[in-house]
Amino acid sequence: MMALADLQIPGALVRLVVALAALAAFVGVNGMLLVYLERKVAGHIQRRPGPFEVGPHGILQAVADALKLVGKQLVTPNGADWLLFWGAPVVSFMPVFLLFLPIEFGPGLYGLDVNLGLLLILAFAGLNVVALCMAGWGSNNKWALLGAARAVAQSVAYEIPLLLAVLAIAAMAGTLHLGEIVAKQGSWPWQWNVALQPVAFFIYFVCSVAETNRAPFDLPEAESELTAGFHTEYPGMGFGLFFLAEYAEMIVVSAVGATLFLGGWKGPLVDGVWWFLFKIYAWLLVMMWIRWTYPRVRFDQILNLCWKWLIPLALLNLLATFVALAVV
Amino acid sequence: MTLDFLTADAAAKALFVLYFLAILVGGIMAVAAKSLVKAMLGLIKTLFGVSGMYLLMQAPFVALMQLLIYVGAVSVLIFFAIMLTRGEEEGRPAMGKKILAVLAAAAPAARVGGLLLRHAPMPAGTPVEISLQALGQLLLTDYVLAFEAISLVLFVAMAGAVVLGFERRLSK
Repeated sequence: MMALADLQIPGALVRLVVALAALAAFVGVNGMLLVYLERKVAGHIQRRPGPFEVGPHGILQAVADALKLVGKQLVTPNGADWLLFWGAPVVSFMPVFLLFLPIEFGPGLYGLDVNLGLLLILAFAGLNVVALCMAGWGSNNKWALLGAARAVAQSVAYEIPLLLAVLAIAAMAGTLHLGEIVAKQGSWPWQWNVALQPVAFFIYFVCSVAETNRAPFDLPEAESELTAGFHTEYPGMGFGLFFLAEYAEMIVVSAVGATLFLGGWKGPLVDGVWWFLFKIYAWLLVMMWIRWTYPRVRFDQILNLCWKWLIPLALLNLLATFVALAVV
Repeated sequence: MTLDFLTADAAAKALFVLYFLAILVGGIMAVAAKSLVKAMLGLIKTLFGVSGMYLLMQAPFVALMQLLIYVGAVSVLIFFAIMLTRGEEEGRPAMGKKILAVLAAAAPAARVGGLLLRHAPMPAGTPVEISLQALGQLLLTDYVLAFEAISLVLFVAMAGAVVLGFERRLSK
């Protein structure tokens, strides 16, 4: 603390404020872009053009959607708990910026230089399920409550293999600092962690889809059985915040995945932030591809997959990692 | 522009008050809230405050673990328990019960508080952050007994939960 006393506080503070402003812009712009992309990808996978009316090739559709959401009246449902109901979208969206802070987008391009960056992300990502609980309980709606119940069971279960897979990488790198994990990997694909830890990569990918509640694991909202699950009752920007938080979290899991397994901002020929963005978008496109290809699984199937297959697999992988580390 | 007033000491004191208030308000909310879900939110607020205290003590690892485990997992499981036991809404507890509850809560507080007041620990200067590697080393050398004892306790708790679950299933 003494070292921070004089000029360093403003320096770090300026960096933090600039980073937060830049991240707010990044999240907003990419959220809009992803909404458009998602609808276009869905359209083309289902052999239709997707949004086409607003602007050339429907490129302004997301803007129109956002304006519509902002313009809607905010209605609190009868019998709903005001504090829980309106607190939930805020709790869901607020930690998003914190999740982006330790991520290194390019050489030296990060918001907060923190040794425990990976742990910071994992710790604050857990707040999202608290938000889902608040939304589900506060809505005074049976669909919402069922959605929340599913969200709890699913996210608590999938957090375990996710942590175990991440732990294998952290043990190999010997650090939780995201920048250092990138620094330990090379520029070519065979020098990335995915070449050494394919099982952990697979587990992380499955868990990242499950933790962001994306199809085929979108049980908490499951529109064909639960209307819209936990956010059934949310009007206008209440829903908008949940939506934005979900897309921001998709970017976070892909960014962390790209950092841990795919060499972060390093890539063949020229290292730089473009490789990182390319990897994030490739990851997101695969997630969309999966969403529009596979049907939703049943709830017992999703839990069985986690407890009976992923957790033992992750434990074995961790054990093998430790043995390999001890031998080499 | 100079930021002379923004010394590390003043910042730490302001943060201490902030975290202290979070713990206090959260604790009152957890005890006094009529709805169990709001009580859980109070608990989460308290946990955030405690996590902030760990940060002030330069123990970011413990602080983040507190959030990861208590907020991300334990509170959420408490919420699950609340949901599964819904419907047994009890009325306000009787006055005698309230007085007994206050006494039960005050007794350990008075005992520990008295001890702390009489033998106040001397401030040991500015806390220093211990690296994660050193922490791991210490856990597996100097404090290995405590570490193993904790894992034993957790294992027994887990086995107990499994046994209870099976009994419930068999009786159906």
